[in-house]
Amino acid sequence: MAEQEYTVASDSENTGEEKSSSSPPPSLPEIAVGIDIGTSQCSIAVWNGSQVNILRNTRNQKLIKSFVTFKDEVPSGGVTNQLSHDQEMLTGASIFNMKRLIGRVDTDPVVHAAKNLPFMVQTLDIGVRPFIAALVNNAWRSTTPEEVLAIFLVELRLMAETSLKRAVRNVVLTVPVSFSRFQLTRIERACAMAGLHVLRLMPEPTAIALLYAQQQQMTSHDNMGSGSERLAVIFNMGAGYCDVAVTATAGGVSQIKSLAGNAIGGEDILQNMMRHIAPQPQEASSSSTAALRVATQDAIHKLSSEDNAQIEVGDKISKVLDRSEFEEVNEEVFKECERLVTQCLRDARVEGCDIDDVIMVGGCSCIPRVREVVKKVCKKDEVYGGVNALEGAVRGAALEGAVTSGIHDPFGSLDLLTIQATALAVGVRGNGNRFVTVIPRNTMVPARKDLFFTTVNDGQKEALVVVYEGEGGESVEENHLLGYFKIVGIPEAGRGVPEINVCMDIDASNALRVFAAVLMPGCSSPVVPVVEVRMPTVDDGHGWCAQALNAKFGSALDLVTLQRKM
Amino acid sequence: MSGSLVYSAASSLRFSEVTSLPQPKINRSRNGTAKFPTGARSFKASAQTLNAEPYVTESVRRRVSSLYELLKVNETASLTEIKTAYRSLAKVHHPDASESDGRDFMEIHKAYATLADPTTRAIYDSTLGFRRRRVHAGAMGRPAGRVYTSTRRWETDQCW
Repeated sequence: MAEQEYTVASDSENTGEEKSSSSPPPSLPEIAVGIDIGTSQCSIAVWNGSQVNILRNTRNQKLIKSFVTFKDEVPSGGVTNQLSHDQEMLTGASIFNMKRLIGRVDTDPVVHAAKNLPFMVQTLDIGVRPFIAALVNNAWRSTTPEEVLAIFLVELRLMAETSLKRAVRNVVLTVPVSFSRFQLTRIERACAMAGLHVLRLMPEPTAIALLYAQQQQMTSHDNMGSGSERLAVIFNMGAGYCDVAVTATAGGVSQIKSLAGNAIGGEDILQNMMRHIAPQPQEASSSSTAALRVATQDAIHKLSSEDNAQIEVGDKISKVLDRSEFEEVNEEVFKECERLVTQCLRDARVEGCDIDDVIMVGGCSCIPRVREVVKKVCKKDEVYGGVNALEGAVRGAALEGAVTSGIHDPFGSLDLLTIQATALAVGVRGNGNRFVTVIPRNTMVPARKDLFFTTVNDGQKEALVVVYEGEGGESVEENHLLGYFKIVGIPEAGRGVPEINVCMDIDASNALRVFAAVLMPGCSSPVVPVVEVRMPTVDDGHGWCAQALNAKFGSALDLVTLQRKM
Repeated sequence: MSGSLVYSAASSLRFSEVTSLPQPKINRSRNGTAKFPTGARSFKASAQTLNAEPYVTESVRRRVSSLYELLKVNETASLTEIKTAYRSLAKVHHPDASESDGRDFMEIHKAYATLADPTTRAIYDSTLGFRRRRVHAGAMGRPAGRVYTSTRRWETDQCW
């Protein structure tokens, strides 16, 4: 065996090494497992050589409740811990809904909504990480969403290793479309803590798209070459997030045309209903609140198939809920679903009538009103039936795991490809406090684009490149800060003379790098060494750095886009 | 791992290849990018940028003279043929499917984006102008790829 090369792993706290877009050494290709970390349930699957196999825990469950209970010394998660009843998760000792909390600051409305949960979510509303704690032996034990997720992932990993009888290291995870790059680093951080190496973080609907591409290829093998392309809308709504994608599929290639997503899901519906049933606020960790939560959840499930449902909580609450009441209370949620699908269609530049298939997955896709809304926007009467609503994402992730690991299937089942698109725009601060887009939303990945900027002051020798990501809102405050760096050594010249070229590169594993070069008229090479920065560089998730930069430098180091002479 | 770092540092800047015009701004406009509506600029990157294309030296870029040749399709190819060709090439050149760094695939995608839109395709075709016959003849001389349609078309008919 060849001597191992000694290389210094890059100093990335998230993975300990750079995400690699190449496959592992050919000698022993380790097939990456796929993990769907859901807000309420998780699952793990792997390509077994001929098909995707969803792994089961010792209690023979494929879908594992996402929670971690802190008690005594060793915290235990949903993989190993059997709850005797649902209410046991609601005593304050268990942390759940990690995916709603990870990488969010305490001014985020999603974090505020989590304050109704039985464990402690303390916010100071100043834009820093919330304080999260579990109640252990009548004491609050602090933790973080990353830690909770890591504990859970370790259990999942051990379960997979037992089941597969090999070490598991490489993973493909599904993530919500609306996650910022900072949130993605938090997921990677949790994986690194659990000893897992992330090959890909796939937006959930794109995992479904890959599964759909495989199914299309299997069923229409004959006309593969004919290029008959199928347009599908993928709607994925779980407990925490609602995601939509439009994909064009043919010959096993799924091209993502547009993505849209928001942190809205079953948890919002549940909390709306709890407020509707018991309007006066109660102690979040009390047993009556826990009972109400469980009873409401059951009633919501029942309303998917029946017109009304009875709710009984102790001797205080006894109520019959009917479906129209349920729909009225959650009108805003359903409107948001409609908006996301409409936006996604518009971004993909397709009309509802062009759509061949509507695929609906995730727990909330069972809600009749949600199905109605999506079918109406897509102008379809039927929903595609080939994808299991709760298993689709993990199956897609396992397929991507096999494809990315370089596994070939003699029957062509893995002759697949997803051509991803960026879910959010990336750009820099310029023209005052504006967000200047460099790579727009829904750009094909890998992508590389650049823009020219220039100085705003005469004799300006330095310039700040402040990188943001977001839906493309006009002012920088509407977007997430990803990082910043300073360009130095700009030759003294009048304002508007130096040309600063900012280039952004997103590779196939979605890693973002930002380059900046200074050019002067009459000189064909950069006057100072080019700066290359891997983003995000901020490790706290708050926007305070931007304010601090602004307070320190004002507009002294600003940039404006260069007006090109025709 | 470290490869990507080396790659970008060494290759992202080939400013020396820029035609030796003293004024970069003039140079850019001379490259013709500004004259077209946005969609059309994709097939001609301005030379002075970090995004400059010249170092897509390897396989795809250097040996082609038109976007049609890049996609290995006939100049009269239908949209369906272009899409099929694009997907076949994607399976070979996409970084997920090969060891490549994605540059080739980006070029292929640019070509596809230009040719898949009737408006940008028309603009591109008009820039091909005088080269058309020569390019076409060259393309026809190549061995037919798997995405190549062998049907006779009006150009071929006119040849003999």
